[in-house]
Amino acid sequence: MSSILTYIAISDGKIKRSSLEVLSRSKAIADAQGLSCEAVIIDQIASSYTDSVQKYGASKIYTVEDPIFDQHRNTPLLSALSKVMETAQPKVVAFASTEGTKDILGALAANKTAGVVADVSSFDVSSSGVTAKRPVMAAKVVGNVEVSGNPILVSVRSGSYDLVESPTTAEVVSIGFTMSRDELKAKLREIISATGDTIDLNEAESIVAAGRGVKDGEAKNLISELASVLNAGIGASRALTEAGVYDPSLQIGQTGKVVSPQLYIAIGISGAIQHVAGMANSKVIVAINKDPDAPIFEVADYGIVGDLYKVLPPFIEELKKIKG
Amino acid sequence: MVPDVAAPFQIKEGELIMDADRMVLNAYDASAVEEALVLKEKHGGEVEVVCIGPAKASETIRKALAMGADKGIHISTSGDEGFDSASYASILSSFFGDKEFDILSLGKQSQDTDSGLTGSMVAEKLNLPYATNAVGLEIEGNNLVVKRQGDSGQEMIELPTPCAVTCSNDMNEPRIPNLKGIMASKRKPIDVVELSSLGISEEDLSPASKVISYEQKPARQAGKKFEGEADEIAREVAQLLDTEANVI
Amino acid sequence: MEDKFDCIVIGGGVAGLAAAMTLARNNMKFLLIERGEFAGAKNVSGGVLWGSDLAKLVPNYWEEEDGGWERFINHRRLTFMDKQSTFSLDFKSKHFNETPYSGVVVLRSKFDNWLSGKVQEAIDASDFAMDSFIATNIKVDEVLMENSKAVGIKTGEDEFHADSIIIAEGVNNLLTRQVGLQDKYVPADHMLTGIKEIIRFDQHVLEDRFQLNGLSGMSNEFVGWATDGVEGGGFLYTNRDTISLGLVVGIKDMREKKRSPHDLLNHFKQHPTVADAIKGGEVVEYSAHVVSSGDSRVMPKELYKDGILIAGEAANLLMNAGKAIQGMDYAMRSGILAAETIVKAKAKNDFTSATLKEYRIAMDDSYVMKDIKNFQDAVHLLHTDTMQNKVPNLVCDFGRQFFTIKNEPTPKSEKMLLGAIKRHSSLWELLQLGFKARKSL
Ligand SMILES: Cc1cc2nc3c(=O)[nH]c(=O)nc-3n(C[C@H](O)[C@H](O)[C@H](O)COP(=O)(O)OP(=O)(O)OC[C@H]3O[C@@H](n4cnc5c(N)ncnc54)[C@H](O)[C@@H]3O)c2cc1C
Ligand SMILES: Cc1cc2nc3c(=O)[nH]c(=O)nc-3n(C[C@H](O)[C@H](O)[C@H](O)COP(=O)(O)OP(=O)(O)OC[C@H]3O[C@@H](n4cnc5c(N)ncnc54)[C@H](O)[C@@H]3O)c2cc1C
Ligand SMILES: Nc1ncnc2c1ncn2[C@@H]1O[C@H](COP(=O)(O)O)[C@@H](O)[C@H]1O
Repeated sequence: MSSILTYIAISDGKIKRSSLEVLSRSKAIADAQGLSCEAVIIDQIASSYTDSVQKYGASKIYTVEDPIFDQHRNTPLLSALSKVMETAQPKVVAFASTEGTKDILGALAANKTAGVVADVSSFDVSSSGVTAKRPVMAAKVVGNVEVSGNPILVSVRSGSYDLVESPTTAEVVSIGFTMSRDELKAKLREIISATGDTIDLNEAESIVAAGRGVKDGEAKNLISELASVLNAGIGASRALTEAGVYDPSLQIGQTGKVVSPQLYIAIGISGAIQHVAGMANSKVIVAINKDPDAPIFEVADYGIVGDLYKVLPPFIEELKKIKG
Repeated sequence: MVPDVAAPFQIKEGELIMDADRMVLNAYDASAVEEALVLKEKHGGEVEVVCIGPAKASETIRKALAMGADKGIHISTSGDEGFDSASYASILSSFFGDKEFDILSLGKQSQDTDSGLTGSMVAEKLNLPYATNAVGLEIEGNNLVVKRQGDSGQEMIELPTPCAVTCSNDMNEPRIPNLKGIMASKRKPIDVVELSSLGISEEDLSPASKVISYEQKPARQAGKKFEGEADEIAREVAQLLDTEANVI
Repeated sequence: MEDKFDCIVIGGGVAGLAAAMTLARNNMKFLLIERGEFAGAKNVSGGVLWGSDLAKLVPNYWEEEDGGWERFINHRRLTFMDKQSTFSLDFKSKHFNETPYSGVVVLRSKFDNWLSGKVQEAIDASDFAMDSFIATNIKVDEVLMENSKAVGIKTGEDEFHADSIIIAEGVNNLLTRQVGLQDKYVPADHMLTGIKEIIRFDQHVLEDRFQLNGLSGMSNEFVGWATDGVEGGGFLYTNRDTISLGLVVGIKDMREKKRSPHDLLNHFKQHPTVADAIKGGEVVEYSAHVVSSGDSRVMPKELYKDGILIAGEAANLLMNAGKAIQGMDYAMRSGILAAETIVKAKAKNDFTSATLKEYRIAMDDSYVMKDIKNFQDAVHLLHTDTMQNKVPNLVCDFGRQFFTIKNEPTPKSEKMLLGAIKRHSSLWELLQLGFKARKSL
């Protein structure tokens, strides 16, 4: 039986929720199309994640373990995936569209002469290939794409699908793999990690996002306070990541991350299309901006026209009361 | 070269129609050119730009030349082949296959499609070490040191040359050509290479992924706008988030 | 000096592009500088380019498959409006279907870009294919003067030299002021603001609604309630599958009446007639731009100076006498005449006022200055309260009575008219108006 294989991304010792979202989707497609739903985990301790993965319906899980996977590197990941695909012979390989995936997807497609479509917001498998919807033109338009090939690689934006549990007992297949660091042409010199305790924006239920209107320490403190009241992740517009006010990994938008939380609060953000491209799929959007004509209000469910220095303190206070 | 995503367009019977046929230099490619120029200023060398496309592509090349690139190569196509990233990667890898270079620098994605595939495809086809989503480049001896943006932090990666890298627009602020640059660009050479002369097979060129139709994204309705006393409207919205939107 | 140009044209609007085209065709070595990212990027205006000068610049432009223009005008309408009603003068003629058209609707961001492509083609075909340039995304900071003669321009740190400069910078004429041809300060009551929305329809809906055939189009001007008492008027032009709908209003009057452009435009759109016209359309663009009043009192002191010519709206060349706004055609003609003067100056190798004054003579000889002179009073008249409010109200009042059919004896129309006049004005006032109008039109 041909299969749909989902790549389970591990980061900081955790399974990325977005890969489980993709797995949930793959399971649904597998059931509908009579494919087998399989998964692959590549990590130095890959086998320790199999339990969580079979909860989402993978009936076969390939694991590849090697110390080389302690950090993201494209060469070993590519050859490991390539090797798993040789064994699994999947019809479709599905990925969550993380930075790690973006780093290898094209190369893997070239290596396997596979069809590929990146960063889709939905996809389906048919006898002739894969059909998908993907936002284009700075996410102003949706393109309906048909992909042919054998196999076909698909990467899916986070938040596109809900998690659906469907417990199975999976057969775990360990694929032997070794690569020494000397074999690598590229050398990973150092990792400049963002502060480890920040909430992963792709998984955050709520996001408080700061823009150029956040001008000083006082405003930054208000942002942090609001985020902590809501237990929200902090994101930023390019204006602030560029200025070094927030870590670049917090940038939301076309160049940065695409997020879809339940609640997105844009503070001092004008709403340039490239920013909106990264957050327009949030469930509820609140905008705080002193310019009543700011384009962000066109996408906001609740638009507060006002100075953030004046709006945030009572806003935070009221939320604290509600939270009790 | 990408259509200007800021220009008005419409969708008619599934087709995307730009109001004006205005092509611009892809912002990510502009950053790649900028960084190449900075490296050249520091370390010497030559900056060449390659663009695949119809006649109009020469305008885009000219823009890069006006920024300061030394030479342009225009791989000429009809423009309506519906190429996907893989087709472009086939063209680029077959063009670069027999060329000598130290760094092959691409944009991390196209502004219109956001595919982000071409770069690593070309690297794989040419068997080059590569890094994607670069936000900083340095040359140290025979190595290119790339600072790349990962999901949760940045990685410093050392690549031996020749190598490939894809650039983020967060890397720099591309220079706007000045008048001297624009004037000088007119005298810089643009070699035109016919696509057919590269001898790429039909199979490698024909796109595996095709956009069969476009549709309007269901527009988000603008919601309520609150104006007035900051204290009042702040509290009111906070309440509504709890009672109406149920997101607290 | 190797890099010296015959001419530097500042501004890639209609005036600058017309000048550049003329220079290229006459084998001049020139540089056109536009501060927008591309020609047209900054030009939000749009409307009808009247007259047939475009055909001089781009012969047979109508044969181009994807030209820069939207529709040709064969249907014109002037509408008086009060709160509830509209009364229109409507003229449609097959006569207007012949080429060269006497008016085409354009959207500037597209038209200017297209025309600039045509200029580039003309450059490529000229002797100076490698030495003449269109440079965009560059702002001219200063016109360089030596012994009160222009010798070049400065942008950033760079200086470029030329025998002559055509200033075609549009309405915010900072450089015209810098070289001393315009007073530093222009009073606000000489400035208008234009506000415009582009509203998209399904093309068939648009064509049916406005009775368009092929590429034929309609222009409609509005006076009266449109501007809610603020001095000015409204317009509606049909594009391929959008309409341009907007107002041109006096900035000072608007400020005094504490109105904003946006809010006036919304007012206009609520009129039942306008609401019907735009029903089902989607606003795809909103823009606002200053327009000069066309008042000859604010024209520059002179159109030339040693080494300098001023063209287009930089010289406040504009006419808004109610039946149409004419700014682009004036810009085009003045650009052409300015460039022709440069060609003559080059032949004589004299770029001083002695030769450049021929521009002024040619302009005075042209319809542009003749119309500006002859219709000056009409422009003033249009801006009186009588024309702005009383007349439209009166006309609509009369119309309502005239076209209402009740099952009652109908009064003679003369009586209806007199009644309407009394309610909104007086016979004496209208007589005065009529007298002035006869003189000014
Ligand atoms: C190819 C490309 C990719 C890009 N990718 C991204 C991306 O991924 N993410 C991204 O964010 N941008 C991206 N951009 C940049 C984007 O176009 C905008 O420049 C950027 O989003 C602007 O950030 P901003 O809204 O914070 O700043 P601004 O546009 O400067 O807006 C600041 C806002 O703050 C408001 N304000 C100021 N003071 C206060 C106050 N006291 N109280 C309340 N409001 C206040 C102002 O009214 C204004 O609306 C990209 C651009 C390009 C060309
Ligand atoms: C809403 C509205 C509706 C209108 N409708 C009509 C109509 O229906 N018919 C009509 O004929 N006219 C109409 N007009 C008027 C018409 O648009 C102008 O009269 C016409 O554009 C003038 O042309 P121009 O070339 O002189 O100036 P512009 O078109 O303004 O061009 C000037 C150019 O110079 C550039 N520039 C300025 N300063 C510099 C600098 N320092 N360095 C480099 N470049 C510079 C600008 O970016 C601009 O591109 C309308 C105007 C408005 C606002
Ligand atoms: N027509 C083209 N000519 C030259 N380079 C291209 C072309 N198309 C894509 N690329 C390169 O591929 C990158 C975009 O990849 P993608 O997002 O896959 O389209 C660009 O930034 C360019 O570096």
